[in-house]
Amino acid sequence: MSITRRQVLAGSAVSAASLASGLASPAIAQSEPIKVGYLPALTGPSSSTGVGINRGVQLGVEAINAAGGVNGRKIELVSRDTQSDPTKAVNAVAELTQRQKVALIFGPVNSGEALAATPLIARDKVPMLHPCWVDELIDVKKYPMAYRIAPTNTQIGGGANYYVVDVLKVKKVAVISDTTGYGTASVNTYVPMLKAKGAEVVYQNHIDAANPDLKPELLRMQAAGAQVIMPWSVNAGFLSRICNTRGAMGWDVPIVGQTTLGSGQTKALLEKPEYWNKVYSNNFRQVCYVNGKLLPKAEEFVERLKKAKIEFSDTLLWWVALGWDSAYLMADTFKAAGTKNDDVVAYMNKIKDRPGIYGTVTWTPEQHNGFPDSEVVMCEVNSLKDGAFNVAPGYST
Amino acid sequence: MFASIVSYGLAVGAVYALIGITYNVMFSASRVFSFTAGMLGMLGGVLGALFIGKMGMPVIVGFVLVLACGAVLGLVTEILTVRPVLKSIEQHLYVLSTLAFALMVQQLVAIEWSTEPQPFPRLIPIGPGWLDQQFWLPVLACAATILGLELLYRKTLIGRAFLAIAEDSYAARALGLPETRLRLASYALAGVIGALAGFTGAEMLLAFIGNQAILNFYGFVPVALGGMGSNRGAVVGGLALGLFQQAANYFFGGIFAAVAVFVVFIVVLLLRPEGLAGAASARRV
Repeated sequence: MSITRRQVLAGSAVSAASLASGLASPAIAQSEPIKVGYLPALTGPSSSTGVGINRGVQLGVEAINAAGGVNGRKIELVSRDTQSDPTKAVNAVAELTQRQKVALIFGPVNSGEALAATPLIARDKVPMLHPCWVDELIDVKKYPMAYRIAPTNTQIGGGANYYVVDVLKVKKVAVISDTTGYGTASVNTYVPMLKAKGAEVVYQNHIDAANPDLKPELLRMQAAGAQVIMPWSVNAGFLSRICNTRGAMGWDVPIVGQTTLGSGQTKALLEKPEYWNKVYSNNFRQVCYVNGKLLPKAEEFVERLKKAKIEFSDTLLWWVALGWDSAYLMADTFKAAGTKNDDVVAYMNKIKDRPGIYGTVTWTPEQHNGFPDSEVVMCEVNSLKDGAFNVAPGYST
Repeated sequence: MFASIVSYGLAVGAVYALIGITYNVMFSASRVFSFTAGMLGMLGGVLGALFIGKMGMPVIVGFVLVLACGAVLGLVTEILTVRPVLKSIEQHLYVLSTLAFALMVQQLVAIEWSTEPQPFPRLIPIGPGWLDQQFWLPVLACAATILGLELLYRKTLIGRAFLAIAEDSYAARALGLPETRLRLASYALAGVIGALAGFTGAEMLLAFIGNQAILNFYGFVPVALGGMGSNRGAVVGGLALGLFQQAANYFFGGIFAAVAVFVVFIVVLLLRPEGLAGAASARRV
């Protein structure tokens, strides 16, 4: 078979093209954006957290990219709204890990979706960072690439228990919840913790949150000698009824519990504004006012947010700060370790006392829960200003 | 304690009774248990809070609009979810069609309104305490509804036509009664009653999408207790349920109150399957 001049020229052209593309590819890889999968709940029934966190993440990524990105590469958020639906989160994980080939996934930001998505992200061996509180979401054996940039539920309950027993010095406690899985699990976890701290749980019950009349429950607590009420629920209707009933009874005991106690939804359902007095909800030391002032870096962050015209009226400072911290933590990781999953994990396993606006993070190969107990505090719910609250009375500064 | 049981018990019971009547009015016209009754109750509260609380409409305008929305939804329920499955009623497809419609509306409310409970405005500035509208308004609405229905069914021609359809729709049709239009009217009436239940009970139960499931279930209990199709039975059953629920709340507390309600419900149905006020049906052989 003879080889024609045309065939030789065609073959040379193909070889040249292959060579050119082969040589050019590392250069393209060096400049192409780093893809980060992002699974916020921006719509749907549990979206208020996601909307708040999203403002911080977007602002953080914009700032990082405007400053030149990570070693010259921009961060590209591949965002998929989970719509507060675990099924949608699961579908998005498949797309992000297999089609988009993201370097890391931030989220889901709600525990319900994270419980469904985390095993799949772990299966696809993609590093994961999330702010969800459910304890089971971090397990270095089952999910060796998953990291939490927030406290666990146990820490949240521990913070409330610490405030009741060690700060308020109250011994007789009433612990109640609604009948949801979250409520019952919280009571079952936190009551033994309270007892271990020397408190006497004089009343404990799970209550139907739809019950419009909570007076019988509060009368029983009062008769049992309770000096504080600790309700565990995310139902604003249930929590507001507790505040309203306590107020109507003229019973002056503190109410100490979960963040929903301080939400705008709970406030809207109060019969009188003063029924919100002596109500303390979980919050975080670095984003609370102490003696009327925020910490300098939180103050600076608030000013930055105001300049960027970030809306505060419907969100909380700690949500926005958490999003901002997460964006910078991811950027610093890529800068130091690149984007290979093993390198990312090796770097994150060594992060120690990393300061943030929202909180400090420390991870080790054995412990991927990074939030310190000391930064989980209680705040006065009726002190909201610029998305932040006063730290509850009694803490030493 | 007694005062609290009676005030809350009668108020909640009146809302349950009105939802029970909503079930009954739809059932009488079509032999269909439409699970949109709870949805209508939920919407009564949500739309009332929207029109009066958020949009600032005068109370009377908001109230009439809520009832009108209930009537329209009743009509839509009949056309979309009941009429298409009437031919194969023995397959009970209406369970799926009415429930699916109710869930769709609930999701829409969740997206457009809120998933969190919202306050319902105090319409009559009396109280708090005994004279608060949350205690007497549902009872008044329940009394007015049962009285109105009695007058409608006994004193008016259209009311007698409703009864004829409920008794035997084939015979009524053979006599020339416009069955389809009467059924539509019944569903519109049920829509008004359901919305009225939600509107009058919303200060107590709040404007909340979660009320749909609660009202669907607790509104069905008086129907089962009082006998299907019996409005008087639904009122007695609803008030008894409300009082018993609040008493159990005082004496047992927590989730045991709900358990006590279910235990009594099951015992009553075991002893009198036709309901407390229902008559055992005779079958010609």
